[in-house]
Amino acid sequence: MLTFIGKRLASGVVALVVVACLTFVLLFTTSGNIARNIMGDQASEESVAAKAHELGLDRPLLARLGSWLWDAVHLQFGKSYFSEQQVVSAMVSRLPLTLSMVFVAIVLTALIATLLGVTAAVKRGVVDRVVQVMAVLGASIPGFIIGIVLVLVFAINLRWFPAVSKIGPTSKPSVWVASLTLPVIALVLNGIASATQQIRSAFIKQLELDYVRTLRSRGIPEREVLFRHVLRAAAPAGLTVLSLHFIGLLGGVVIIETLFALPGLGRLAVDATTQSDLPLVMGVVIYTVAIVVVVNLFVDIANGWLNPKVRVS
Amino acid sequence: MLSRRSVLKGAAIGIAGVAGLTACSGEDTAASAGGPKELVIGILAEPPSWHPAQTHVGHLLQPYQLAYDSLLLRQPDGTLKPMLATEWKYTDDAKTTLQLKLRTDVTFSDGEKFDASVVKANLENFKKANGKQVAMLENFASAEVGDASTITIKLAKADPAFEYYLSQAAGLMGSPKAITGTDIATTPVGSGPYTMVKAESVKGSQYVFTKREGYWNTSLQKWDKITLKLLIDVTARVNAIVTNQIDATLLDPNTRSQAEAAGLTLLQWPVDWNGLLLFDRGGKVCPALADVRVRQAINYAIDRESLVKNVAGGQATVTSQVFGPASGSSVEGLDKLYTFDQAKAKSLLAAAGYANGFDITIPMTPGDDVTSNYIKQMLGDVGIRVAITAVPAADYQGTIGKGTYAMARFNLFQGPTWVACNQLIVPKTLYNPFQSTNDVIAPLLEATRGAGDQVGEKGKAVNQYVTENAWFAPFYRANQLYFYNAKKLKVTEQVQMAVPSIYNYEPVA
Amino acid sequence: MTQTLEITDIPVGQTGTVKRASVIGRLLRNPMGLAAVAVLLLIVVCALFAGWLAPFDPTRATNTVLSSPNGTHLLGTDSTGRDILSRLLYGSRGTLLSAVIAAVVAIGIGLPAGLVAGYYGRWFDNLSSWATNILMALPTMIVLLAVRAAVGPNVYVTMVVFGVMVSPGFFRLVRTATQSVRGELYVDAARVAGLSDVRIIGRHILGVVRAPVIIQAAMVCGIAISFQSALEFLGLGDPTAATWGVMVNDGFRTIFRAPLTLLWPSAAISLTIGGFVLFANALRDALEDQVKTKEKRKAAQPKTVSTAPVPDVAAVPATEHLLEVRDLRIQYPQPGGGRTTVVDGVSWFVDRDEVLGIVGESGSGKSQSVFAVLGLLPDNAIVANGQIIFDGVSTVDASTSRIDQSALAALRGRRISYIPQEPMSNLDPSFTIGSQLVRPMTRLLGISKAEGEKRALDLLASVGIKDPRRTYSSYPHQVSGGMAQRVLIAGAISCEPDVIIADEPTSALDVTVQAEVLDVIRDLQTELHQGIILVTHNFGVVADICDRVAVMQNGRIVEQGDVRTILRNPSHEYTQMLLESMLVGKKPLTRLMSDSATGGMK
Repeated sequence: MLTFIGKRLASGVVALVVVACLTFVLLFTTSGNIARNIMGDQASEESVAAKAHELGLDRPLLARLGSWLWDAVHLQFGKSYFSEQQVVSAMVSRLPLTLSMVFVAIVLTALIATLLGVTAAVKRGVVDRVVQVMAVLGASIPGFIIGIVLVLVFAINLRWFPAVSKIGPTSKPSVWVASLTLPVIALVLNGIASATQQIRSAFIKQLELDYVRTLRSRGIPEREVLFRHVLRAAAPAGLTVLSLHFIGLLGGVVIIETLFALPGLGRLAVDATTQSDLPLVMGVVIYTVAIVVVVNLFVDIANGWLNPKVRVS
Repeated sequence: MLSRRSVLKGAAIGIAGVAGLTACSGEDTAASAGGPKELVIGILAEPPSWHPAQTHVGHLLQPYQLAYDSLLLRQPDGTLKPMLATEWKYTDDAKTTLQLKLRTDVTFSDGEKFDASVVKANLENFKKANGKQVAMLENFASAEVGDASTITIKLAKADPAFEYYLSQAAGLMGSPKAITGTDIATTPVGSGPYTMVKAESVKGSQYVFTKREGYWNTSLQKWDKITLKLLIDVTARVNAIVTNQIDATLLDPNTRSQAEAAGLTLLQWPVDWNGLLLFDRGGKVCPALADVRVRQAINYAIDRESLVKNVAGGQATVTSQVFGPASGSSVEGLDKLYTFDQAKAKSLLAAAGYANGFDITIPMTPGDDVTSNYIKQMLGDVGIRVAITAVPAADYQGTIGKGTYAMARFNLFQGPTWVACNQLIVPKTLYNPFQSTNDVIAPLLEATRGAGDQVGEKGKAVNQYVTENAWFAPFYRANQLYFYNAKKLKVTEQVQMAVPSIYNYEPVA
Repeated sequence: MTQTLEITDIPVGQTGTVKRASVIGRLLRNPMGLAAVAVLLLIVVCALFAGWLAPFDPTRATNTVLSSPNGTHLLGTDSTGRDILSRLLYGSRGTLLSAVIAAVVAIGIGLPAGLVAGYYGRWFDNLSSWATNILMALPTMIVLLAVRAAVGPNVYVTMVVFGVMVSPGFFRLVRTATQSVRGELYVDAARVAGLSDVRIIGRHILGVVRAPVIIQAAMVCGIAISFQSALEFLGLGDPTAATWGVMVNDGFRTIFRAPLTLLWPSAAISLTIGGFVLFANALRDALEDQVKTKEKRKAAQPKTVSTAPVPDVAAVPATEHLLEVRDLRIQYPQPGGGRTTVVDGVSWFVDRDEVLGIVGESGSGKSQSVFAVLGLLPDNAIVANGQIIFDGVSTVDASTSRIDQSALAALRGRRISYIPQEPMSNLDPSFTIGSQLVRPMTRLLGISKAEGEKRALDLLASVGIKDPRRTYSSYPHQVSGGMAQRVLIAGAISCEPDVIIADEPTSALDVTVQAEVLDVIRDLQTELHQGIILVTHNFGVVADICDRVAVMQNGRIVEQGDVRTILRNPSHEYTQMLLESMLVGKKPLTRLMSDSATGGMK
């Protein structure tokens, strides 16, 4: 088991490095106008050039990549081009909000999708059809439209929730709940459809296997067959579905945070992109991929534990 | 990462704040000023750094006013009054030596005392720091400390806008100890009416300020707590203000009706002009533009009235000149110099040899596609074929500065005369990328520079020249649409500033 | 006693052909599929003929800004006075283009890579799997933002990158399918026959892969549109283009002045994505091999007719047998309506201390009839007729002619048990063998776990497992096929049932193990006196262990009776044919058979 974890971790780190290098090279091509953008329209060409030199924008690509990697290993990700904020503190200050949204969303998705998926798989018929229709609707309507509707109806019209985030560093949990409810609902609604479909498929696949019939023949009641055996067997597939879904959510928060004016990682990504704030964009990419690597590691461990062939070896 | 101490301190402040809030809500039966006065303003942009040398204009000046005082105070109508400086005057005719007398009773929030050496340190630091408004001190040569309350500033050249600058970014005074350090970038240290509550302030989200005890001018200190909430998106701002999450903010023609329907009060005043800058007066990128008749034809081709109606929702005034009324250099008849006259435009083009029109490319950023479409349409109707290239916002100014485009549309603020000249007309500026100049305009500019108090009058000649020679094709002066909750406060506009000065917000009794 | 049909009877037995409608037909018959195809065609038509269909120039700015739908502008105008309908029509081009670019790039990368990786394996497989894992670990939106930061607003670049990001889906799909087909025997045969790899891949593998790729492509198209419009909504698209996403962004800015301007492009986007998703779903349904058609409640009359006499179903006759099946008819509904009959009027019985063999070829219905006894038929099976009586209790509900699951729930495991055919796939791989043995016992017999463990160990010993303790704590993947089969036997007898149904218990085993397992079964019966039903296609097994035998062909029993009699003197020609085809080289019964060649039926 330990070698298994070790290998996964190693491949995750390699992935991180590869992604970092590729992203850096990709973004390097845009640093032409950054200095002017920072200095604004009143600055003279000389001061713009001075700024460019100060930021190291006039050095060659490989040299900059090298220094960035060296700093990154020491967990120094530099400073934003536009503000005085350290990239690390920018990430860290925004992570709790985004991560809490994403984790709540994934837990809710897991619960609801499992419930609906299993019901649809077992009952078939009407429930199955309803789930499929829901799935189609959920997949068809883009997340930002769902978000817009939620804001208009529940925040502006009904005033049940705040229209913009009220969360501050000293906010009570109730404020977090009030401000995050609509965004989380938007996140969940968007992806629940496909997650349900996939869990349903995984479950049906298991139900068609021979051992299920044999278990029934042993006199084990249906409920136990479904929840002790089939669910367990379908769990790895389900976990994989959810881990992919988690990755998707990290992208989905970009839209939701923009709509609800939440100061999270997704919002930062959009703002940094619009301004070509290279250090921040790198920071967002690195942190996001690192989160994914960690989560995937946990999922792999869970899958490994669930699979007796891996567990006992 | 918050240290434990700051968390505890923050918790203490937070609890006090919450207690304060609950106290407030429980006491609204009290007749006069019962309970703390709290203001929440929705802002469009946040200070990238709280170091006073990084101050900008308009939206990015207002936040700094909470923590910093300036040497001179600019009134809502533009007149300059004493603030940290009690008197000021030029001591020579060339207007290159400015002597200021300073207050002696001012202290910074870190305990440092304000005096002439502080002024010198700040001015020198401002120039060295190469911030966004470093051009304000372009002509600053040196500062001499007389005594603790006297300082003499020497300018390399006369600068009619210099006193104005001392009421803006260049005049902000930070604590001498703090401005050389790095902490001031995240926590402002000034002599202003408020101090930032670090524990409740989050970059990218909100900044919370509370009243500073011991501030020297309590009449400017009208609130107990001010929160600046960053809401970049206008829809988020209107949502926030109609649900009373914020008390005042800037909106736009699209969101105006929503705010009015919610019973909020509108304050409007003109700040920007919207129009085309016809950079390429030398015809380098687009030969046609070298001919003044072509440039005039462009002016005649624009239907300004319909732009006012369709783009600005009626909240604008048609204009043909780039100098605003508040500058003193606007000329009576020039506003309506160019009427909407397609026939005239076509005949001018024909006279210039472009009866069949010509091609030109203009840049556009997301967000101004509406106006760009109309421009394309209107110019196309007289034979000028316009191609539009989308340029990312981050690259816009850089691309302009490189002289990539022969003309471009901008929303630019109309400041005092010399500021406007520096912004648009002098050869070295970003908005004159082809460095257009000639034997007529150069002397006019020089005369304006040396005009001292007469800068407004002298500026009229510059204005006349650039307008008649169609250096620009202005459309209109748009009004800022500022909304606030009249039940809670009253706001007064600040001339030539995109949002009101922080001193212009008063609680309603 | 032999029970045979008159030779002149037309063996009706299994009737009805299994219809396999064409895929397209099934797709279009499905209302969802039809709707999806209609929507997609509509969009394509809009895109192709926007020039003709659009009433106005989509870029023409006018003074009638944000007007509501009226006579001139059917859907109103936007913030620049442009006609919304025209913009929608032209915008469909951008939308379809985005989808097509993304899908083409994704397939262009994923398909060949998957084929090569699946077919040849080795280093390419490792490399591409590693690259795929990295791609899948990247949140697509973040990558698109980074690309956007680098390159600026460019729909083509964005969609190409998106295509790269979703190519792993295709890669994995194709690779898995290729690997599975690669392992098929006919591919080896093709290689031996000298076909080039390219031909094999083109001919066999692409055919298998084609359908899932199309389904995935439809999903990808939908997602591509969603991403592209999301980017444009965020203001990161190219504002000069008249695309739906840009229209949403525009509408969002004017949402308070004219909410409808947001509605039209949003609806268009949702409808198009929905069309792709529905198409994918419907295609997937149409391709499903096990189309489990369920007949509606108000079932039509069965169209196939049987000539066998239908006994009076109202009466529940008594029986002296332990388990008796009478005139059982099992049918399955067909996708186009109607039913096939798989078991037609079958009757047999079994008593204690005897072994009944049910013999027949694959597809003769023998497994179906025993599943009916166990109540483990698929959901869509219909018991059209017949009785199943166990120990005096009828397990078929006469009035509704459905299996009485509540009655059977009490019987399964406890009184009737089942030994399946394929040992490895019939044990739950996630649980130890011990727990799988103990759990039913504690549940059905009400004993404690400790007692259950003891009994389980005893059972394992009794079925001939050398080290019961070790097997008890093992997982199924840790034991051999023969051991697993013994475990299954142990499980079947654990609750001391009265009837054991063994479904080809030795077919998956080696010959030597076969013999041992049969011994085990025989010994158990000596001890426990159950009635055993042994389903098999192997007369050797029948001869070895059965007391009576029933021969099934096409869903009917053609001959039934005492083993010795049938084997020596088969009266039905089918039985003879079976015996002849099996007994090549085997000594004893051949002599008997040759006697009957002259006598007997003919």
